[in-house]
Amino acid sequence: MLDRHAVGRSTPPTLNEVEKGAIRRFAESVGDFNPVHYDEEYAKASGFPSVLAPATFPASFHTGVDLRELLGVPVRSLLSAEMSIEYERPICAGDRILVSARVAEVQERVGPAGKMEVATLEEEGRDEKGVLIYRARKSYLVRPKEGA
Amino acid sequence: MPPRKLYFENVRVGDELPPLSKPAIDRVQIARYASAVGDFSPIHVDEAYAKTLSMPSVVAPAGLGMGFLGQLVTDWARGATLRKLSVRFVKLLWPGDTLVCKGRVSDRHGQDGKYIVELDVWAENSKGELALRGSCALQVFYSAEDETRQRNGQGPVVVNVARESILAEPDTKKAAARTAGEKTGKGQKLAAKAAPKKPAKPAKPAKKKR
Repeated sequence: MLDRHAVGRSTPPTLNEVEKGAIRRFAESVGDFNPVHYDEEYAKASGFPSVLAPATFPASFHTGVDLRELLGVPVRSLLSAEMSIEYERPICAGDRILVSARVAEVQERVGPAGKMEVATLEEEGRDEKGVLIYRARKSYLVRPKEGA
Repeated sequence: MPPRKLYFENVRVGDELPPLSKPAIDRVQIARYASAVGDFSPIHVDEAYAKTLSMPSVVAPAGLGMGFLGQLVTDWARGATLRKLSVRFVKLLWPGDTLVCKGRVSDRHGQDGKYIVELDVWAENSKGELALRGSCALQVFYSAEDETRQRNGQGPVVVNVARESILAEPDTKKAAARTAGEKTGKGQKLAAKAAPKKPAKPAKPAKKKR
């Protein structure tokens, strides 16, 4: 059961440094070998200031607090339902991004398998001057209790 | 090798992205992805634990599938600036699943020298089921000339292009899009969903200003 008081809970901005090695390992794990994620010269020739982070790289940013802690649910019970990322500009190696998250919504929905709970988190990343770099919205389904 | 670029003038509503066939997801890939994002939830990496939850095996992180769609788009959109990627996780992803990622241009528009291409994107699993679906927006230069001008600090090439959509296209394009939709079954649904966004007035043909 989701904690309804979780709505509005937020994390303080946490610094994430975008490193080339982290970009490479992320891209390799996805099986994405586009040189724009590995080769600085190629990335520059493509119009980016440095090696480009993959589109979903913000999934690797940390906010200092575990998501399940933020929502007050056990570790096993969350399933991703939707994710949306809006980018103000490309994210590249060398970026220093302050990331914060907040619980935007806790809802009950009726699906084919009965009642489900949905938690929606909003996350944003800003540079050190406070300029917005990206915004993400993530929804999670809370799995019903085991043994039911 | 210098990268080729994607320009607005070469994109048409209904254009299909080259499908991206991913190798089967395996537990090593799941472990590597978990490590890359720093999420070691046991449902992704601990088989014995997953079985205590009556799951057949560990389940792949949904973000991995979204990563595949990101790859599909970035490969196609050479040099474009990604503005939005939005994905709905329809099916759980399991070790052994081979996903084929697909996409189609759903809209394109330009105003005041800013050019946007919108895509429908989706992935089908080995059973042919829709596993993920979503949409994407990219900002591109109008043409090589536009890019050169802007990179030299000059104003952009300005061509105002009203929102287009599959239904606003000439009949041939419409028919092509419909055929493509029928082929995949799911694509058609996506196309139909994109349609209501279309403005009432017909799209103006793009005229290039020199």
